[in-house]
Formats: sequence, C-alpha cells, structure tokens
Amino acid sequence: MAVIRFLRDKWFYLLLLVLALCLPLLITNRYHFQIVIMGCLFSIATLGMNLILGYTGQASLAHAGFFGIGAYGVALLMKGGLSFWVALPLSALIAAGIGFLIGLPTLRSRGSYFAISTMCFGVIVSIVAGNWIDLTGGYNGIVGIALPTPIHLPLIGSVGFQTQVAQYYLVLAFLLLTLFIMHRLVHSLLGLSFMAIRNNEALAGSVGINTFAGKILSFVVANFFAGLAGGIYASLMGAISPSTASLDLTFNWLIFLLLGGAATLAGPVIGAFVIPVTMEYLQSLAEYRLIIFGALLIVVIIYFPRGVMGAVGNLRQKVRDFYDRKKGAKGAAAG
Amino acid sequence: MQLFFQQIFNGVMLGSTYAIVALGLTLVFGILQIPNFAHGHLYMLGAYITFFLMTLYGFGFWSALVTSMVALGLIGMLIERVVYRPLQDRPHINSFISAVGAMIILETSVIVFWGPQGRRIPNPYPDMVELFGITMSHQRLLVIVAAFVLIFLLQIFIKKTTPGTTIEAVAQNREGAMLVGINVNRVSSLTFAISTATAAAAASLVAPIFMISPTMGALLGMKAFVIVILGGVGSIPGAILGGYILGILEAIGGGYLSAAYKDVYAFGALILILSIRPTGLFGKEVS
Amino acid sequence: MRCGKGIAGMVLALMVFGIAADGYGQTAKEVVIGYTGPISGIAAEYGQDCANGIEMAINDINAAGGITVKGQKHVFKLAKLDEGLDPTASVNNSRRLRDQYKVPAIFNPLFNSLAAIAKINQEKGNEFLVMAYTSTPKVIEIDNKLLTASPPPFTIYVKAFSDIAWEKGWRKAAMVATVGAYGEEWRHAFREYWQKKGGEITADKPANYYAETDFSAPLTAALATKPDVMLIGGPSASTALVIEQARGLGYKGGFILMDQAKMDFIENILKSTKLMYNTIGVAPVEQSPTVAAPALEKRYRSLYKRMSTWEVWLNYNAMFALSRAMAAAGTVEDVYAIRAAFPKAFPLLGDKFPSEFLGITPAGRMYCPGSIQVIDQAGKYGQVQLALWQYKTEKEFKESIAQSQINANIKWVFLKFEKEQ
Repeated sequence: MAVIRFLRDKWFYLLLLVLALCLPLLITNRYHFQIVIMGCLFSIATLGMNLILGYTGQASLAHAGFFGIGAYGVALLMKGGLSFWVALPLSALIAAGIGFLIGLPTLRSRGSYFAISTMCFGVIVSIVAGNWIDLTGGYNGIVGIALPTPIHLPLIGSVGFQTQVAQYYLVLAFLLLTLFIMHRLVHSLLGLSFMAIRNNEALAGSVGINTFAGKILSFVVANFFAGLAGGIYASLMGAISPSTASLDLTFNWLIFLLLGGAATLAGPVIGAFVIPVTMEYLQSLAEYRLIIFGALLIVVIIYFPRGVMGAVGNLRQKVRDFYDRKKGAKGAAAG
Repeated sequence: MQLFFQQIFNGVMLGSTYAIVALGLTLVFGILQIPNFAHGHLYMLGAYITFFLMTLYGFGFWSALVTSMVALGLIGMLIERVVYRPLQDRPHINSFISAVGAMIILETSVIVFWGPQGRRIPNPYPDMVELFGITMSHQRLLVIVAAFVLIFLLQIFIKKTTPGTTIEAVAQNREGAMLVGINVNRVSSLTFAISTATAAAAASLVAPIFMISPTMGALLGMKAFVIVILGGVGSIPGAILGGYILGILEAIGGGYLSAAYKDVYAFGALILILSIRPTGLFGKEVS
Repeated sequence: MRCGKGIAGMVLALMVFGIAADGYGQTAKEVVIGYTGPISGIAAEYGQDCANGIEMAINDINAAGGITVKGQKHVFKLAKLDEGLDPTASVNNSRRLRDQYKVPAIFNPLFNSLAAIAKINQEKGNEFLVMAYTSTPKVIEIDNKLLTASPPPFTIYVKAFSDIAWEKGWRKAAMVATVGAYGEEWRHAFREYWQKKGGEITADKPANYYAETDFSAPLTAALATKPDVMLIGGPSASTALVIEQARGLGYKGGFILMDQAKMDFIENILKSTKLMYNTIGVAPVEQSPTVAAPALEKRYRSLYKRMSTWEVWLNYNAMFALSRAMAAAGTVEDVYAIRAAFPKAFPLLGDKFPSEFLGITPAGRMYCPGSIQVIDQAGKYGQVQLALWQYKTEKEFKESIAQSQINANIKWVFLKFEKEQ
C-alpha cells in the first residue's frame, strides 16, 4: 500500500527522474549535451543561492566568489597531486569555512547593506585571484586542470569522465544529491526557522530562534554548494581565471533564481535551464539579444514576481478554482 | 612633499566626481528606498549625450552640459516610473534585478548604436597652471569648482525651497510625510530627476579630461554605493564627505601602495565598517 | 535471392550516384568556418575586428573562386557567435559550431577561452582546429596538436623595443602598464630583459586601463622617480589618456608602448603626434612596408567604417593560411592532415597581404614579423623596422627573409629565442 501511495503522490517526480536518467539516449548532439551539463552544474550553484536568498531572505551577492574559491581549490589541489574526489569536498569545505568567517561580520548588516557588503567580498575574491600571481596564475588563470579522476566500481570496472555521457551522470548525481539535501533541509525544523527569519527576523528572535546562528548556518551551507559547483566546473572546463568568480555569474544565478521561482526547489533548476536555452536561441539576434534580455528581465520581475514557479502555481490555483466553482454550481443545482 | 600635494590635488578632483554621483544616489536610495544599481550607467549616458550634442550638433560645452542634464532628468523620471515604481512594495532584491535589466539595456544600446570604442569630448580648457610645484589643468580645476558650486546649490534647494524640503521630509519619515499630505510619488519622480541630472553633470564635467565608453559607469556606480553606505543611506553630508575621502584615499593609495589591490582597500573597508556599524558611519539606527 | 538482388541493385545505384556526384559536381561545396569571440561587451571592438578580418578573407578567397580539393571546388562561409568574456559560452559556442555547422576550424582571440576550447577539440570523431589569436607564449605551452596561433609572441616587442630604448641612452625605466594577464606578462618580461641589459626599473605602478580613466595617481608616483622612459600600454584609448596625463604632469621622457596600444589610434584620439614624441611602438597598419597594405586598409575602411588594426589583418592572413593548408592537404575535413599541411601554406607575401607570414613552428606559431616604429623627438614617424624571431641560427633567419617581397632598405631585426614561443 505504501508503495502505491508513494507512486501515486510522486509519479511526476519519478517520471522526471527516469527521463533524466535516459537523457543520454535522447540527446546525441554534443552542443545540446553541453548546455544540459552546464544547466545541471549551474542548478547546483543556484540551489545554494536559493537557500540563503530564497529561504532565509538574505541576498548574498558573494556567491560567485565562493564558486571561484571552490574552483581554485580543486584546480590547485589537483595540480598538487590530490584526487578529484578528495579535492572536491575539501574545496567545498574551504568555501564553507571562508563563508563562515565572512558571514560573521557581514551578516550583522541587513537588506541592501548585506547585499552590498557581500558584493564587495565577491569583487575582492576576483581581484585577489587576478593579483596573487604565485598562487592563482594571475589573470591568465590556471589551465590544464585534469578531468575528474576515474573511479573504480565493482563489476563495471574503472569509469572515466572523458565522455559527455559520463560527465552528465556526474553532474546529475551531484544535482540530485543537492536537491535531496535541500529538500530534507527546508522541510526540517531548521528550514522552518530559516523561513521564520526571512518572514520576520524580530518575531523569529522573540520566539526563541537564534536568528544570527540561523543566518550563519544557511550562509555556510549555501557557500558549500557554491564551492562544490565551482570545483566541478574547474575540472570539467579545464581552465579557470578570475572571471570564474566574477559578479556577472552572481547576477546570472540571481536571474535564474528569481525568474525560476525563489524559495521553491524546482525554481532554481528551471531557471538554470530555461534562461541559458533562451539565450542560445536568441544568438541570431547578435547584439540586440542583450537588449531584449534586459527588457524581458524587467517585464518578468514586475509581472511575474514569483517567477515560473509562481506562474505555474497561479495557473493551478485558477484551474482548481474553476473546478470548485463547477462543482459548487452542480451542487447548488442538485440542491 | 610636493608629490604628496600633487596626489591630494588628484584625489580632490576624483573625489569631486564621486561626491556628486554619490550625492545623487543617496537621495534616491534614501527616499525611494531602492538601490538604484543603474546609477553608474545613467552617468555614462549623460556623458554620451553631451558628446553627441557637441560633436554632431555643434553645441558649446556649457550648453551641451545643461541640455544633457535636462535630458537625463527626463530619462531618470521615465526609469523611475517604468523600472522601479511597479516594484515599490516588493523586496529590495526584485528592484535589484530590475536595475540589472536597465543596466544591460543602457550599456548594450550604447554599444549597438554608437559602437564599443571609447570616445573623446574636445577639451574646452586645455591649458595648465603650475602652483607651488603642483601641476593643474584648467579643466581639472574647473571640475573641483563646479562640483563645489553644484553641491552648494543642491543644499540650498533641499534646505530652502518647498520641493526640496518635501524631499528631505520623505527621506526622514515616509509615512509621516504621507500623513501631512505630501504626494510621495511626485517626490519620487522629482528626486530621481535631480539624481540623474547631477550624474549627467558630473559625467560631462570630467568627460573632456578622460574618455567616454559604454562601460565607464559600471565601476563608478559600485563605488558610489560603497560611499553611500559608508556615509549612511540618505545622509547628504555623509555622501559628500565619503566621496572626497574615497577620492583622496584612492589617489594616495594608488600612488604609494599597490594599485592592483586599490579597490580591495575600499571594498574591504566597507565590510569592516558595516560589521562594526551595520547601518553605515552616519546611518540612522534601524530598529 | 530476391533480397540479395535488391541489395546489389541499391549498391549499384549508390555507386552510379556517387560517380555522378563526383564527376558532375560543378557547383562549389560550402565549408563553414567558425568564430567565437567577444562581439558584445567590454572587448567588443577587439572581437569585432578579429571577426571582420576573417570575414573579409573569406570573401576574398571566395571571390577568387575558392579552393580546389580533389577536383571539387569549395567556398567558405563564416559562422560567428558571441561569447562576451565568458569561457563557458565559448565552449558552448564551439560545440554548437562543430555540431550544427560541422566546422573544421574555430577562430578565437582570448587566452582564457582558448584554454577551455583546447580541452574539447581533440575528442575522437569531433576534432576541430583551433585558430588562436593571442600573443602570449603560454598558448604554445597548452600543447595542443590541433592549434595554431597567428600573432608574433609579444616577447619579440619586449626585446626589440628595449634595444631601441637602450640605444637612445635611456637607462631608468618606470612602468605604468595595465593590470590583467597580458599586462602582467609584459611587465614581468620587460623587467627581466631591461635589468639583464643593466637598466634600472625605478617604479612599477600598474593601473587598470580597462575600468579607469584617471591615471594621475600612479603617474605622479612614477614620475617622482625621474625615469628616462616609461613602459605604458593597454587598450589604445586609455593609453592615449596616459600619454596626455603624463605630459600634463610635465613628463618629457620617452614611452615604450606595449603592443596592444596602437599608435594610429592614439594619434587619432590626441588629434596629432604632438604629445607622442619619443615613443616606441608597433607600426600602424598604414605604415606597413608591404605593397598590399594601403589598398586593403582603404577597402576595410569603406567596408566597415572604421580604421583597421593588426587584429584584422593577422586574422585575415590566418584564414588564408588555413585555406591554403586545406588545399595542400587535399581535404577540408581531416583536421590532422590539414594541420600537418600548414607549413606548405607559406609564405604569404606582401603583394597580397598587409603583413607577411613566412612559415610556422612545429608547435603552431606562425612566423609573422613584428613591425616596429619610433616617433622621434620632433613628433615625426621614423622608418619602420621589421623584427623576426625564433630562428635558432642567423642563417635560417636570412633564408627566411630572402622569401620576403618587402623593399630591401627595410631594417630587419634578428631576435634569437631559446625555445618556441
């Protein structure tokens, strides 16, 4: 019975999962594959941002800074001889640790102040990356970063990551892991306290939530995932530079997040796919593309403030209302 | 010592632009309560309008500057109406996204219509003077004096005229101002117009010394935010003082310390100060 | 049996069709060449120049009837995509160009993007050539089997400019060069070479030429050390401001212009060479001593409504080299064969090209001489000198320039390098 109920409730998600797992059979075009891989990768980063911004209500603009820290971490540790599978969690932890240190001073401020002080930190990361030449290679960055180290599986043997299919399953696995953790987190008591902080910090404080600790924790976890995404990015792209930590990336994710739908789990993923795909379609418009993109941004944020997920929610609500009314009308007629 | 004073002079000139730009920003930020991230880009547009008035339509420097201020004032009102007002009661981050949209449109339009290359406004006052061993060009002196005059006039406008005092009233207490019958929307429009017009003035004043390019506003806009936040949002003296301080610090820092890390100092200082005083140096305490 | 006949019939039909296609295919086939680069954003001007050069070369090649490979005529078409300054977009674009247009070669002018593209261009069954436009020696260190680079390594200018400055008797040098990868490498190479000659670096005050316009602070600090010559450079527009501001602060010494800064652009901004006295830099295209330069420059100006730069012409040359390598290899698809045939594509000479290309190194850097020019004390352009590099012996250098069509009274400078740049 439990299985049937599970299937009935979650059939849609299971279908999506099966679809995701079978995707390599459907896509044979390397270009489309590349976009899907990057979409998964940026979904992870955007989900991280979603935790601090969407659920906790603190607009961190240092996200690309932490993505960059993760990327440089993996690049340097792998160049130092470590396996990808050691370098990646280590780098994500470093990003989380620096996030903790930066969160202590910056999270004392609120709203726009917090946004701007984190933005300043993000800019500092990319300036340091550009100028600490001995460590980071300066503006040329680090090139020739190896692909993820092959893993040895029982029965299957050694699995390398040269092919796009392998790379896809790699990022998909991390994306599912991220989604799983985020799902558990936001539906836990802790997640509720994050949302309480977002909705009314003073009220949350007065009912006994340690709001500062809550904010720090959310910030640290968010930056862990930013670092994780950055680490995978470095290994897949093979070359990083200070632009890997640039504010433009933060802006991109912010747009993915808000247009996809903040404070939902599907929203960041939808945004991370829909917007890059749209931009690829608009390539033929050449330089006019960005003008249209900018205008679209303003229109969407004004008329669909809760993004795609908000619009979907509204639609569902309307459909439900319609049926309810119909039912009501029938009931009235019968009565 | 001569070197030091030369750097101070450089810094005061730079600080004059920062002060005007930050002043405009603090008015908008303090009153509309929205971070106008496109401020630097409007500054850029002001410089371009002056450039085209002078080179294509044969305007003189001063008439081009005034026309550009008027044009930017109108554009500012338009942007306030279209980009920001619909988002008045939403979280700040939404206006932020909207501002990013406006920035992209402004920058790309300038590139599409006028090309990505830097352009030059002919310098109306190219001569130099040397005073106590410090070399100063007339245009640089002019920037300093004009900035001073502009700031002075704005102060008089805000303190002594009725529209000006309504702006200050809204800045100090939005609800209170509404209660006494001030039309907050009209004040918003007016504030935005003043803010963008002053940005156009600053851009046009320094354009003959420097260069204009589609990206000239991006970094300046960010610095203006740093200044405004350090000075306290809505604090006019804070913005002016902050502007001059940052200009001088940059000149001295860029001359004596590493130029590569110059911006790290300014941005690092901001993080540090906000951690000690979360609402800025001269900011009002938030309950 | 029936089935067997059917197959035999189909095979026959295919063979006939194949022969027909081979024998009567008089219409030219189209080969699409890819370009991904910054068409919008901060570096748009640079990216557009590069693309225009390739486009113009393709039009010229097609106008001359294209190339003939195995008896079949081929013409070219350019597919260009915008990447801003984002290497992620650069990889997406490369994938797209390869998948949708089946391009055999992709041009790109940014080192950071090139490093990312070089990671995907050797995948089995999906190989493509990378036509790099970057002067950093690091691009050769990437060690990619399918990469070529067209501009001379900037290190030739470091050596050639320093030698000229040294001859002028300048000993104290200050640096107010741009930040960024390129500026960083230049400063490093210049310091090393200048100090090896016995010169002194009195100040190193890098400035952000991309974002800033007021250079008075670093200039004031650098001038306080009383240098004879200053190394400056970055984008031309900002470099012009640096010259103006330095002269405004009373500086009377010399300038060494890093190769990114273009003398003619700076002259255009400053309205004359009045402030540019005692400057050593890369010669403007217009002053190039080849027969072809003036006419091509004029044509470019009427086509694209702006001045041409070396970015335009070196990409123009590289596209020609590519088409000749394809013809020599007898294939437009087998990229390894095309890459191997590159040495047969040269020389590209001054009768048709604004700059000559005299060969290619095994690692893929084309031998393009650097054109050097000095503006004298009175603000007048001097005679152009050409610097050629990399030849291990002077004999090879002489053999190489013997191919050149450039007027004999040009001074050729021989620069010896220890390893491939």
